Amino acid sequence: MAELLLDSDIRVWVFLPIVLITFLVGIIRHYVTILLSSEKKVEIQQIADSQAMIRSRMLRENGRFIPRQSFLMRKEFFNNKETGYFKTEKREPVVNNPMTDPSMMMDMMKGNLTNVLPMIVIGGWINWAFSGFLTTKVPFPLTLRFKPMLQRGIELGSLDASWVSSASWYFLNVFGLRSMYNLILGQDNAADQTRMMQDQMSGAAMAMSPDPSKAFKAEWEELEITDHNWALEEVEEEIMGTAVTPPETIYIKNKMI
Amino acid sequence: MASSMSWEEAREKLSEFREDRTRNSEEVVDIWRDVLADFRYKLGDEQWIIYEQVCIAACDCHQHHLAGECIDKLKTQFPSSCRVHRLEGLLLESKDNYEGAMSIYHEMLKDDPTNSLVRKRVVSVLKEQNKIPEAIKELNDYLKQFMSDTDSWMELCDLYLMEQDYSKAAFCIEELILSNPRNHLFHQKYAEVKYTQGGQDNMECACKYFAQAIKLNPTNMRALFGLFLAASTIASSQKTNAKSKKDAIKYAAWAAQQISLKYKELPMSGSGSSQIDAVSGMLDTLQITQGT
Repeated sequence: MAELLLDSDIRVWVFLPIVLITFLVGIIRHYVTILLSSEKKVEIQQIADSQAMIRSRMLRENGRFIPRQSFLMRKEFFNNKETGYFKTEKREPVVNNPMTDPSMMMDMMKGNLTNVLPMIVIGGWINWAFSGFLTTKVPFPLTLRFKPMLQRGIELGSLDASWVSSASWYFLNVFGLRSMYNLILGQDNAADQTRMMQDQMSGAAMAMSPDPSKAFKAEWEELEITDHNWALEEVEEEIMGTAVTPPETIYIKNKMI
Repeated sequence: MASSMSWEEAREKLSEFREDRTRNSEEVVDIWRDVLADFRYKLGDEQWIIYEQVCIAACDCHQHHLAGECIDKLKTQFPSSCRVHRLEGLLLESKDNYEGAMSIYHEMLKDDPTNSLVRKRVVSVLKEQNKIPEAIKELNDYLKQFMSDTDSWMELCDLYLMEQDYSKAAFCIEELILSNPRNHLFHQKYAEVKYTQGGQDNMECACKYFAQAIKLNPTNMRALFGLFLAASTIASSQKTNAKSKKDAIKYAAWAAQQISLKYKELPMSGSGSSQIDAVSGMLDTLQITQGT
């Protein structure tokens, strides 16, 4: 097949503009997200619930390291039939209907506004303005399977699969520039830290699953079947067996003698 | 020393302190006063976090003027930030104006009851004023909501120890052990509290936890001594039955042997000889009481 030659105008007016546009749109999106981001209010009840769950999980996992009585005391605190934490703390199942909760609605809209909308608009515009160009060629041969990925918008059966069309070039840029953004905007750069300064520092407030009572029930069951198996029953014998003669001490002892 | 630094080095140093969470307050203040204060316009956005760091350091060093300056700068930049409000409270605390600090904190908590850092400040203000029972109550209320905050459990444990309420302190350490059972210091501390509480069961418990601490870190001398003491107490107690008495003597002998081994390993031998003598002396008396 004869070698294709691309017009150098394609480089100047299609190839580079697409890179530039996607890059700048990414940067603008970053700052718009910062502008629009709203503080997440965390209810104290939610924090308390999630922390109780964490504590109960730790009790299940590491309960064998504390004395039996202490373990049972904590288990009673969570699981007692009348007074246990998981039994008495009844939560209204929070039904987060996005249509009734305006703040949820706003968050969703903002997410759409900054993520999905530019994708569609810019993508559509690029498709419309730069459609039908071959922009570049990857410097290695590819199989035919890659054709729909690399040559979107150009249905030519005989074209070599390593050519890249303009629409595909745009998508390659959208996904490929992510690490560039990390480099330039960064997660830990100073701009981010100032944002932290204005944010609420609400500690390790983990978001809970929407329905705490269900989670409580599951945790109650898990804890109920957990039994205490003290890890320290034989510990003195263990250390006397294992720690009496570590190789180092033998060596040093011999040297001293 | 600090004045010979270039401003880049100074900035590096401060960010190192921040990352390692070391406080080094005097050094921070020195670096700021001698080097960075003249280059603040070069710091860009990093200057705000440095202002915060310097402000806390200045409060530590009782340089109220400097701290006030930093807060003013931060306040013009972030007028409604609760982090800056907290710094104001901190400054009042370091001026011993506890009522003022408390009113700031309570004001902030009214706006946002989930702000755990402020609630901890309230506890520490009470502790500074030596109102330990009030601090304990406040911290207990806090822990009812933030149950898995291990640092607070540790603080509560220390507060209970100050009040000599050992069984409650033990409860707090159990909580710490649950959160990280691989830390030998928690086990050691638990054993020490149990040992202090005294009584047959507690002593056996202490013996086990000292042993666990040694198992996790065989070089823990304090735990070795603890095991020795706890085991000898059990052995010399009247209430112990014959079998556990025999075991306890075995443990005590083992611990004594380990201790003297460890001291012999020391490069400058002789420095620990008095300890070795003391331990072997105690062991001898133990065996005598056993023999009779």
